[in-house]
Amino acid sequence: MSIRTNRQRPFFLNLMAIRLPIGGVVSILHRASGALLSLAVPCLLYALMLSLRSPEDYAGVRAFFSGGLGWLISLGLIWALLHHFLAGLRHLGFDFGLGESRQTARRSAWLTLVVAVAVVGLIGLTTLLGGTA
Amino acid sequence: MRHVGGARRGLDMWLLQRASAIYMAVFLLVFLMCFLGAGPIDFATWHGLFAPLAMKVGALLFVAALLAHAWIGLREIFIDYVHFLVPRLALYLAFGAIYLGCLVWAVDILWSVK
Repeated sequence: MSIRTNRQRPFFLNLMAIRLPIGGVVSILHRASGALLSLAVPCLLYALMLSLRSPEDYAGVRAFFSGGLGWLISLGLIWALLHHFLAGLRHLGFDFGLGESRQTARRSAWLTLVVAVAVVGLIGLTTLLGGTA
Repeated sequence: MRHVGGARRGLDMWLLQRASAIYMAVFLLVFLMCFLGAGPIDFATWHGLFAPLAMKVGALLFVAALLAHAWIGLREIFIDYVHFLVPRLALYLAFGAIYLGCLVWAVDILWSVK
């Protein structure tokens, strides 16, 4: 039982040929980062539980997030949170009619994309050089 | 079977999505300030951050807002990509159950901090 009845609609899904405008890139990443964060919630609650349970478990959580795979996971989640946060602020602005002109919207889209990546790069670099990774 | 639920539900969810986003943004900033103000973070200071009742309540509201926000967001994704009614409803219910479980779990986590 399909919810959509019109099966004859044209569609074009060649991902190599679709050229999204920058707002579209930020929008799909908003969705992807949101999905990632949604799936991460139970794992993060588990980490919170361990970190508050005992000094030993707290040390274990810290060790996990500062080494190898855990470090990559935490950088990925920080990126997702930052991108989702900034893209969300941008959309809240649109809700109130702020920054809706094409030029401003493009600029804020670039800003969202660049700031999220730059902050994560900076955190990655400092933890790498600081020896916490 | 095109319409499941009333026409106004979309508006309620639109509003709840924004209200939860604003609460989460404010709580995260407050929490970050508490976190930075707590000095060097070790188990004792981290544990101590969650000791006040106000922090427990604020953090639980944050988790509740997060779960509602996540559920509504996933619902949008399922509406776009899952075009059959039964699997779509199954996904709504599965994530609803998982997230309700997470909420109860969060109460236990936060209130086990003495």
